Amino acid sequence: MSEEVDISVEFAGIRLANPVFTASGTSGYADELGDFMDVSSLGGFITKSITVKPRKGNATPRIVETDSGMLNAIGWANIGLDAFIDEKLGALEKLSCSVFVNIAGETIDEYVAVAERLAGERAIAGLELNISCPNVELGGISFGTEPEQVAEVTSAVKKVSGDKVLMVKLPPAVTNVSVIAQVAVDSGADALSLINTFTAMVIDIETRKPVLANRTGGLSGPAIKPIAVYLVNKVYEEVTKSLGIPILGMGGIRTVSDAIEFIIAGASAVAVGTANFVDPGCTAKIVEGIKKYCAGKNISNVKELVGSLEAEQDAAN
Amino acid sequence: MLEESLAKKRGNFSATVCANKQIRERFYRLVLEFSGEGAEAFAKTGAGQFAQLDLSDTALPSVEAIPDDLADVAERKILLRRPFSFADVTTKGNKTSVDILYCVIGPATLRMTTLSAKESVSVLGPLGNGFWVPDGTKTALLVSGGMGAGPLQHLAKVLTSDFPDIDVIAFAGARSAEALPFERRLDEISQQLGFSLPEFAKYGVESLVATDDGSAGFTGPVTGCLSEWLGRSKSAGKGMVIYSCGPEAMLARVAEIAKEKNIDCQVSMERRMACGISLCQSCAVECRTTGSNETVYKLCCQDGPVFDGSEVAWGIE
Ligand SMILES: Cc1cc2nc3c(=O)[nH]c(=O)nc-3n(C[C@H](O)[C@H](O)[C@H](O)COP(=O)(O)OP(=O)(O)OC[C@H]3O[C@@H](n4cnc5c(N)ncnc54)[C@H](O)[C@@H]3O)c2cc1C
Ligand SMILES: Cc1cc2nc3c(=O)[nH]c(=O)nc-3n(C[C@H](O)[C@H](O)[C@H](O)COP(=O)(O)O)c2cc1C
Ligand code: FES
Repeated sequence: MSEEVDISVEFAGIRLANPVFTASGTSGYADELGDFMDVSSLGGFITKSITVKPRKGNATPRIVETDSGMLNAIGWANIGLDAFIDEKLGALEKLSCSVFVNIAGETIDEYVAVAERLAGERAIAGLELNISCPNVELGGISFGTEPEQVAEVTSAVKKVSGDKVLMVKLPPAVTNVSVIAQVAVDSGADALSLINTFTAMVIDIETRKPVLANRTGGLSGPAIKPIAVYLVNKVYEEVTKSLGIPILGMGGIRTVSDAIEFIIAGASAVAVGTANFVDPGCTAKIVEGIKKYCAGKNISNVKELVGSLEAEQDAAN
Repeated sequence: MLEESLAKKRGNFSATVCANKQIRERFYRLVLEFSGEGAEAFAKTGAGQFAQLDLSDTALPSVEAIPDDLADVAERKILLRRPFSFADVTTKGNKTSVDILYCVIGPATLRMTTLSAKESVSVLGPLGNGFWVPDGTKTALLVSGGMGAGPLQHLAKVLTSDFPDIDVIAFAGARSAEALPFERRLDEISQQLGFSLPEFAKYGVESLVATDDGSAGFTGPVTGCLSEWLGRSKSAGKGMVIYSCGPEAMLARVAEIAKEKNIDCQVSMERRMACGISLCQSCAVECRTTGSNETVYKLCCQDGPVFDGSEVAWGIE
């Protein structure tokens, strides 16, 4: 068993050293993690959502813990496109992992403006489109819930994103996630990432007010993992498997076995979000753990695991 | 580059519990010891810095030991780390020990009470920026409300040992004598102003106590006690710095008093924190900018927790 396991993956035309990313909004602009781990040891790094203009974000409280999860309503607080390019890209360029910039907007033009500027930046391997944003031109309906809007924003960004990998990040709370996934792929997505958080609420029973200043927030963490695994598998089986489009699976990953579950479900790579807050070095441990798991199962290439879910339940059970 | 950074400034370290003493009904003092890299990193902890403790695996106390008001939430699962600042930091040989003064208010601090000698705890730190000493400081007033007394005890030690020329006076407030987080028993606390709390007296620092209900010391809020003292002081203003830690409403009032009297003021802020290391943007503190009415959000965990009192946009939210 001295044979080296190959855990590098081919992801929409990019070679990743391993299938582990940090998820958008949970690891800053990368420099913040440096004291706790070597970010270059990851397969990929995703920035927090970047918008054209800097955004202050929401009032506090912005987070609240729930059983095995947390709600966040940060409000896409970020330094804005110009400052991102001036202050953060230099450090990101030095990372040897693949860098994806997550982009957000409130109008299609805003998405396009960010994508267009970043398309020429060497430091960046790809763009992750956060479509869980309210479209202000349509009264705040989230881009990600309406197939026509998903098509419109994806194809508009695709037109300006040059050779950058375009990954569309799917919201989980839709009638049929496969419909949204199919539209994104038909409109030019090279990869899909799922899932984003579930909109949720926590109420303080003393004051009868929502705990978050924003009333609602996105639920993340271990609480959402089984739903995320299911949705990844659904999209894999119904949409991406036959097209060879890779999925970046996420939602509640904390341990090596969590990550492997997603890969078996159909994810080519995985992203870790909330768990970074508890152990900022956990992604490095997951990379090592995937290698060990493969070695133990005589899997020489992690690719063999992707979508390897057995269809039938054991009859004995 | 990696070799250079071997002597880590901060990191994720394992600490060993030395003591966890109940000092009053809901108040405890936990002593943690670090060796190796952790000892080096924490030896340099500044007063007002903090750490993130992982208490998710810590045992619950027995049912009888759970206060009635926490019975309903006691079983809640803990996901995120909890932030705590230090009441003392001491180095002996190649070990560093830190004291945390804490109050039992929810599931994590309830679990914290069961930590016993030799148990290990995962500690992320030291984090954030602590108090600083402006040039020309002659008098330091340490104003605390409730649990805020912890970091100000550490500050009293640092000031008296490193800045022997600075006069230090502590003001400690709470709702009642019972709610003062000090070891001294109620019947030992004199009713008059100007007696000494042993936690400050051991550094040669005089202390004044204020209680809302008048059950010890000055009757009224600690800010009232401070105002009265400043009114009597002949040197109020020049070379004076107020250091404050406690509930936000109290900090706002302290900052207001400092402004009226033209005294420098530093406040230690609290926010709900998911990460403590600037990954999540949950801990926003609204701050004024010079030369405009615009406010910006700074991060409590990175830019604070200690802020200049005149910088915080009190009550705008
Ligand atoms: C920089 C910093 C330093 C701190 N230092 C100390 C210390 O030295 N000693 C100490 O006892 N505590 C300290 N705290 C507070 C401590 O972190 C909380 O008491 C602890 O997280 C409570 O956890 P819990 O699970 O027991 O209760 P939870 O269930 O998390 O909280 C109980 C109640 O307190 C409220 N609450 C909790 N945390 C906050 C917050 N940050 N801001 C506003 N409301 C909150 C919640 O709304 C809830 O109603 C510090 C906090 C910060 C940010
Ligand atoms: C504090 C916080 C901030 C987030 N910010 C963003 C963001 O800016 N853009 C985005 O697309 N997703 C954001 N997310 C969602 C995560 O990238 C991820 O999809 C989700 O949290 C599920 O993964 P997890 O359970 O591992 O955290 C954020 C999540 C958290 C917890
Ligand atoms: S607590 Fe996460 S950014 Fe401050």
